[in-house]
Amino acid sequence: MNMHSSEAATAEEAIAAQEALPPLTNEDATAVAMQNTLLTPRFYTTDFDEMDAIDVTSVRGEWDALIARMKSDPNKGHFKKNADWDDVDWDGMEPKLKAEFIDFLISSCTAEFSGCVLYKEMKRRGSNQDITTLFQLMARDEARHAGFINDALREAGIAVNLGFLTQSKKYTYFRPKFIYYATYLSEKIGYARYITIFRHLEAHPEKRFHPIFKWFREWCNDEFSHGEAFALLMKTDPKLTESFQNRMWIKFFLTAVFATMWVRDHQRPAFHAALGVDPAWYGQEVFRKTSEITRQVFPMTLDIDHPRWVPTLNRIQAANVQIAAGEKRGGIAGKLAALGGRIKAGVNFIGLLTIPVQRNAVPASPRLEPVY
Amino acid sequence: MGFFTRTRETAPCTVTISHRFEELSAHVRFDNGTTVNPGDEVQVQGPEIMAAFGERVEEKRVAVITRASKLEQIWTRATGDFEFMELCEFSFSEEALS
Repeated sequence: MNMHSSEAATAEEAIAAQEALPPLTNEDATAVAMQNTLLTPRFYTTDFDEMDAIDVTSVRGEWDALIARMKSDPNKGHFKKNADWDDVDWDGMEPKLKAEFIDFLISSCTAEFSGCVLYKEMKRRGSNQDITTLFQLMARDEARHAGFINDALREAGIAVNLGFLTQSKKYTYFRPKFIYYATYLSEKIGYARYITIFRHLEAHPEKRFHPIFKWFREWCNDEFSHGEAFALLMKTDPKLTESFQNRMWIKFFLTAVFATMWVRDHQRPAFHAALGVDPAWYGQEVFRKTSEITRQVFPMTLDIDHPRWVPTLNRIQAANVQIAAGEKRGGIAGKLAALGGRIKAGVNFIGLLTIPVQRNAVPASPRLEPVY
Repeated sequence: MGFFTRTRETAPCTVTISHRFEELSAHVRFDNGTTVNPGDEVQVQGPEIMAAFGERVEEKRVAVITRASKLEQIWTRATGDFEFMELCEFSFSEEALS
């Protein structure tokens, strides 16, 4: 049997293995020409014992119903390419749009992939059946989403490289409660982002420049369910959302997540222009939906209609442009400009935190259905 | 584990890569039941593991685990939380595209 070049111990062996292979077919030639993109997921550890000790008894009924639905896997048949997957004119795509769209696909794929690694690790390290079942199901969904995006990337001539496994990777640490806040928000804001684009393209189908957007609805329903599970987890320990210190953390998380989204979206003008979406409108719309949803468990929402909200976000965005320009220029002047940008961003971020929140009376039962 | 010193150990592991339409994932499982702690570094030995599209590959390998010193572990526990933004992907990379 021919050895694969990746199994070779030396360069000579690898070349020999390559040469021993049958001549390239057309399809292989395409594969060779593919641009290689190394996926760089992150690796986390947490306090697995604390997580394992979660007791879902107080939300048992809702928990079991949610897990049962996730087990029944209503979206199993969804992530298939069918006649709706129309041809994409990659070569005809405007280069700036193509670059931004590919960046979108690669980062989405990496995010799904990192989620999958994190959830699988929790599944493996835990012994509490409720918790391990949940993480197993979420890992399944994330791996499926990653596979689907990967396929869209292959069509664009981009092959993801999973070689990171043989590179040295450092494990960072999150406290369990930070994982709850961050993943809960990330799943819910992910839902709001996908559904807002999906509904916009339903109304403006001529702006749909790639078929993957047609799959966004069922996709984001998976994100929604994952968020529901974290909402229930937070409900099992009222301190997580009620103590003064944790309420400060929640405000901090909401502000940081919203501000980051605003900045990153504004960095991709061609992508949003092609969809016919104004990033500022899109940002506020996503914040509005996310705030409405997070009322299920967070004791506050941010006041996104406050007169200082949007102007401050815009100043953070401007500061970010200054940082990028300074870093690009280099030298002492560049470094100073970048430092100035960081100070501006920091001051304005604190400015956002000084906007009073809107208090929210959390309902007894958090469960929601995706309705947008 | 020393307060300042790192130690290295090896562990047999199983690497599973799924490069299929229905699932894209990659995982490393330590076969001797060892676990990693904050600040530890893991490197799977040997050449890159590839799975062609449509394949699921499972390989037995050896991983080198560099254990963080106690000090590094405390540091990672104290500061790791602030990398939380990594968990909130906004479907865009951080860098501005020019």
